[in-house]
Parts: sequence; C-alpha cells; structure tokens
Amino acid sequence: MTATADLAGLQERDLAARLLDAIPRRVNGDAHLVWRGRTLKARCLVQIGATQFLLDIDGGRIRECRAGLPLLCSWDFAIRGSAQGWASLWQDPPPPGWHDLFALSKRGEMSFEGNLLPFMSHLQYFKDVLTLPRKAGA
Amino acid sequence: MARASFEPIVGRYIHAPVLGEDCRIYFEEAGQGIPLVCLHTAGADSRQFRHLLCDEAVTRHYRVIAFDLPWHGKSYPPAGWEKTEYRLTTQCYVETVRAFCAALDLVRPVVMGCSIGGRIVLQLAHAHGAEFRALIGLEAADHQQPWYDTAWLHRGDVHGGEVCAALVSGLIAPQSPTQYRHETLWQYMQGGPGVFKGDLYFYRVDADLRGKLDGIDTARCPLYLLTGEYDFSCTPEDTVRTAGAIAGARVTVMKELGHFPMSENPAQFRRYILPVLDEIRQKRD
Repeated sequence: MTATADLAGLQERDLAARLLDAIPRRVNGDAHLVWRGRTLKARCLVQIGATQFLLDIDGGRIRECRAGLPLLCSWDFAIRGSAQGWASLWQDPPPPGWHDLFALSKRGEMSFEGNLLPFMSHLQYFKDVLTLPRKAGA
Repeated sequence: MARASFEPIVGRYIHAPVLGEDCRIYFEEAGQGIPLVCLHTAGADSRQFRHLLCDEAVTRHYRVIAFDLPWHGKSYPPAGWEKTEYRLTTQCYVETVRAFCAALDLVRPVVMGCSIGGRIVLQLAHAHGAEFRALIGLEAADHQQPWYDTAWLHRGDVHGGEVCAALVSGLIAPQSPTQYRHETLWQYMQGGPGVFKGDLYFYRVDADLRGKLDGIDTARCPLYLLTGEYDFSCTPEDTVRTAGAIAGARVTVMKELGHFPMSENPAQFRRYILPVLDEIRQKRD
C-alpha cells in the first residue's frame, strides 16, 4: 500500500469515527431536531469514500447508525461523497464551494441516488444532521 | 428591555401597467437623493433590502426603493393568475422594472439586482443602458450551471416553502449571522406555490445571455458586479467570465458572503457596497 493510500485510509477512518460519534448522539439529544423529523421514516445509505453506513431514522430519531450494511439490506436513498468532500464539509468554517451537500454534488464530489422523496421532503433536516460532525463536542 | 422605535422605511402600493396588465406593486422606500431601485432574488421579496433601507450611510445620498415583483411578497399576481402557470420571462421582467421606474417618475435611477435581479441588470445594461445612471449586479452572470431539478420546487407531496428554503440554505455563507440566515430562509418559506420555480424559468431557460451582451457602454452607464465567494450557484468564476466579455465592467468577489449578501450579512455587505455607491455618486451624471 502506498503512503497516499495509507493517508486516505486514515482520513476515511477518522471521518467514519466522527460520523458514528456525532450523528446518533447529537440527533437524539436534540429534541427540536427530532421534532423536525417527526414525520420521517427512512433508511439512508451514507458513503464516505469506500466506507458505507446505514442510517435508520424513525420519527426523527436515529434508530441505528452503523458502519457497513447488513446482508440483504434495503435502503431508500443513498448519499455518497468522496472523503475529501466530507472532510471539507466538516471543516469549521468549510471552504467556499465545499460547504453544502449540493455544492459538493455540483462539483462532482457527492451524489444522491434512489427514492429521493424522503430526502427532499426533509431536506433541511438531512442537511443539518449530516453536518453535525462539523463541530466537535456538545 | 428594547424600546419601541420606528424604522425609516415607508411602504406603499402603486399601480403600473406591465405588458398591458394592471399590476399592483408593493414597494418600500427610505432616504433621498439618487434613486436606487433594488431587485430581490428569485422566490423572495423586497424584505431582503431592509438593512440597506435603514443604513444612513446609504440613505443620506440615495432614495432607496425596493419593490416586490408581481407574484411575490405583497404584490398580488395579475388578475386571472389562478388559470396560469407562472413563468417569468426576460421581456416581462425588463418591462416590469421599466414600468415601475416610469410610474415613480424616476430619472436615470441606479438599479441594483441580486441573482435573477443581477441577470436582468445585465439585460438592462445591454438593451436599455441609457436609461440608468449605473447598474449593479449582485450574484450576476450571463449563465450558470443548474445544480438541481426545479420540479422538486412545486409538487403535491413536498412542502414548497420548506424545500425552497432548504435548497437555498446552502447558498448562505457559513459566517452569516444566524438571525439573518433564518430571515433569508423565511422569505423562501413564504413564497407562493410555484413562484420560485417560475422565476427559475427565466433564470435557467429564457435568459441565457451568453454571447448576447454586446453593445454595453460602461462609460455611459457603469456596471458593477459583486459576487459572494460562498455562492456556488452563481460562482465568482461565472461573474468573472461574464465581466470578461463586457469592456469596463467592474468585478468584486466578496469574502464571507453567499448568494444573498444584503440579506444574509448586511454588515459584511456594506463593506463592499458603500464604496461602489460612493463612486457612483461622485461621478457626474
């Protein structure tokens, strides 16, 4: 494995740890955010580089947030981004042009696939959830 | 405890014929001096200029006037709207601006528009430059690449206001104050059904101005283009490319601002707009 690949692997592991730490804890600990997702029930595949996560949301609460997909797992929609895309999005402040899910998709660093209705009907909820790792701590 | 106080803004309605239809147009104004007509972004309204309207450094020298396009804010759609799908066209937009200025008897006003307002400013510079003392395009370009399907903006199973606001939320710079970020988004949440989408028909379909901006005389009517660095819809590169084809056009890339500079972060925006307004004022008309 090259040094560059090593570095990329480290970056992906770091981003994965930030996602797994921040999202379930900070969504379920935020009563208003949960309320905003009260009519939402969705299974969302989130991908950072080559690493996949399953985000299972029910009534705005994160029921499950795990790395890797269970066998024969179905999901509603996928949000796939490059490691550089997620790393930039989670900088505080993020650099211009790397600061929003759609900024990333416009530049080819992120894609949205599948049944996008639950995503688009709760778009600000998802934007807010997926940027929670930007700020560490509380 | 905060004390009660009036702002200097005064709101009124004016009737103006636009392409043969009577339009009842709401506008707000403050200040005196050179008329400065302000054009809001797609799917929003004149509240975006509330800070500029209250800025004494501006209103000492300018009569700042911001109006709601028909279908927006407090300006109703023309009668019969219920049987039509709203689609803003270049011709309708140009004639609305000109009709509003004529109705108020404004003599060679400065026009400043943002986003779709910035696009129409380019068309005004091209086709009617002699009517204006100067033109200012905020987040303006002759064309920009689409970044979502506008069909999502108006459908029965998605709340239009919420999805419009959520889409444009990413166009606000992360440094913008929380209060003004959410005021800006509230404007989008309050838009009528299909209105943002209808404005984007102008933006994306009808007004591709690439290669059509010849003949702009910036000596007679100076053209200023200012774009926020966080605007990924109309990027600084889009504005620079546009200005490259217009001799004398002046470009400023604004730090820590996005697509709604006057609304999302007024303190930051005034650092950029006050020198432009001073320069316009000091030029002999």
